[in-house]
Amino acid sequence: MAAIAVRPCGARRFGKFVTSYFVRRFLLILPTFIGVTILVFTLTRLVPGGPIERMLNEAALAGADGATTISAGMDGRGGSVLSDEQIEQLKRYYGFDKPVILSYFDWLGKVFRLDLGTSTRYTEPVWETIKSRLPISIFYGVATLILTYGVCIPLGIVKAIRHKTAFDNVSSALVFFGYAIPSYVVGIACLTLFAANLEWFPLSGFVSDDFDDLSTIGKALDILDHAALPLIAYLAGSFAVTTMLMKNSLMDNLAADYVRTAIAKGMAFRRAVFAHACRNSLIPLATSFGNTITLVITGSFLIEKIFNIDGFGLLGFESLVERDYPVVMGILVISSLLFLIGNILSDICVAFVDPRVKFGSGGSNQ
Amino acid sequence: MSVLNLNPQTIKQLKRFRSIKRGYWSAILLAVLLALCLVAELLVNSRALMVSYEGEWYFPTYAAMNPGTTFGLDYAYETNYRELRQTFEEEDEGNWVLMPPVPYNAFENDLRIGSYPPAPPSFEDQHYLGTDTTGRDIVARLVYGFRIAIAFSGLLLTFNYVAGIIIGCAMGYFGGAFDLLFQRVIEIWSNIPFLYVIMIVASVVVPSFLTLVIVMAALGWMQLTWNMRTSTYKEKGREYVSAAQALGAGNVRIIGSHILPNTIAVIVTFVPFSIASGITFLTALDYLGFGLPPPTPSWGELLSQGTNQLQAPWIVTSVVVAMVIVLLMVTYVGEAIREAFDPKQFTYYE
Repeated sequence: MAAIAVRPCGARRFGKFVTSYFVRRFLLILPTFIGVTILVFTLTRLVPGGPIERMLNEAALAGADGATTISAGMDGRGGSVLSDEQIEQLKRYYGFDKPVILSYFDWLGKVFRLDLGTSTRYTEPVWETIKSRLPISIFYGVATLILTYGVCIPLGIVKAIRHKTAFDNVSSALVFFGYAIPSYVVGIACLTLFAANLEWFPLSGFVSDDFDDLSTIGKALDILDHAALPLIAYLAGSFAVTTMLMKNSLMDNLAADYVRTAIAKGMAFRRAVFAHACRNSLIPLATSFGNTITLVITGSFLIEKIFNIDGFGLLGFESLVERDYPVVMGILVISSLLFLIGNILSDICVAFVDPRVKFGSGGSNQ
Repeated sequence: MSVLNLNPQTIKQLKRFRSIKRGYWSAILLAVLLALCLVAELLVNSRALMVSYEGEWYFPTYAAMNPGTTFGLDYAYETNYRELRQTFEEEDEGNWVLMPPVPYNAFENDLRIGSYPPAPPSFEDQHYLGTDTTGRDIVARLVYGFRIAIAFSGLLLTFNYVAGIIIGCAMGYFGGAFDLLFQRVIEIWSNIPFLYVIMIVASVVVPSFLTLVIVMAALGWMQLTWNMRTSTYKEKGREYVSAAQALGAGNVRIIGSHILPNTIAVIVTFVPFSIASGITFLTALDYLGFGLPPPTPSWGELLSQGTNQLQAPWIVTSVVVAMVIVLLMVTYVGEAIREAFDPKQFTYYE
């Protein structure tokens, strides 16, 4: 019993031991962030076919339609409609006239002033482009989050309690299926079966064309109608891991001495599960909680492309195809920041849920 | 077993693996599939297995191409064996052609008069799963695509393992500055959006098989490295390592012949899951159009055709079913291996 008396209350312990650790973790975001962005930035600079070339091509195409084509004699690229001077101007505008490292720090300085640059495709600020896609991505992210935890935690508990019963075996098959099959394949299968063949759900998009004319309830139903299949695909991605994590950790705890003791002392099994074992079993889930906020971006690439949802992932995909590097970098900034913060958030969750965790060794042993 | 001189622990693990029925049978089935894949030219091919022409026997499958003139036809390009069979049957002069079960290769467009591809499955035309949007046989595309995907995953696995084992062991064994340096590298590396970078690279250079493997390996070596580091670190603290050190064994010897065999569980359990993720990633990249260049047969390319041609459901259905079967089997094997190496027994209340 002495151990319990010594254990300080959550808030004080958190303040004492953990704050300095998390301050350090937050400071470490910066070098990692710079490392990631400098790598991708350099990559976008090294590769040919950047925005300048794309613009020149477009200009050349447009020029070919017109009657007069001013030949600027660009290194063998006959028929260029822009003069050397204009090209220089363009390069200066996009920072292509400087060495990679200098233009990187220009770009980084702008990012710190919350300026992500201008999209070469939409010719509007990158942040505006990203912002317009954000609500859709957040909707799917939050819905997936709620569904995942809402379905997986109860299912995991039931599976642990009814281990090796018919229910457990049948649901295990389903879980295993979701584990082995990548979510985009689930998405494609659902799209083909339920949208194209059975026509139960719409094929693509976030809302119908006549969305603005619908009543409030009609709007909600319309969104749900469109969201059903993508959500199944999203859920398939995280469903198996979360359920099994919950089940296995609850079973570990049910086999642990403290639960055995509680039962031996006459506590009802139900109460032993819900009052003692469950709380401890949530700890492993807490480690992955922070990462789920990046779900808004990661993995949605494929599913957004399959269902043609105009979210963050599709924007990233399109800007890559179109070589719209300011947008590519902007998305990278946001996604890597979210990811880094998500990792720390996971640790904070764990520190709150599990009083035994001590940080400070830099996590170097794990 | 005695020939191999396995230690009792390994024999026990093998026995345990065999006792897990679904994993065991999946492993056998996969092995058969792989073996069939190696000789896919004998099963799915536009070249005949055997031609008997005027008393002489020809085996065109692996030989140089036979111009049509060889068989008394009036053209000098490669013989069309399907037509040849029909001709021989009509002539009825004792000549015959033995075709493979699926008489199409993965590249030829079987265009027929009066119909536009994609054509639905048909036993009569021997397109058992139909054709894709340019009239290529889906069975052929699937089989050769599978072979490429497996080869791709295998090569990727080798690259990842070489890097992962060397770097991971060194990190765990030497520790110190080397460990810290690579910890930071891994942290930065694993924060790079994987698919994104591959797509940036692939959008510029049309990736060949090897470049794609190298790029993916360059971005995917961290997971195994991290696991190897952890288990090496754990093993390094054990007495037998100190004993070996005291006896004067060198670092390479300690890592290679003492620590590595004890981390075998980590190494082996990762194999099936790496294979599965290799297939999944390649298919995803091909689906997005950033993978291997056309006309390479690939599941991802078929998937993207299928999702653009939803009125031809046989395309999507074939690929999805093939993927589900293969990935399920690989995962069954993986689970069985994991269980064989780490039998975690739960006590539970009735």
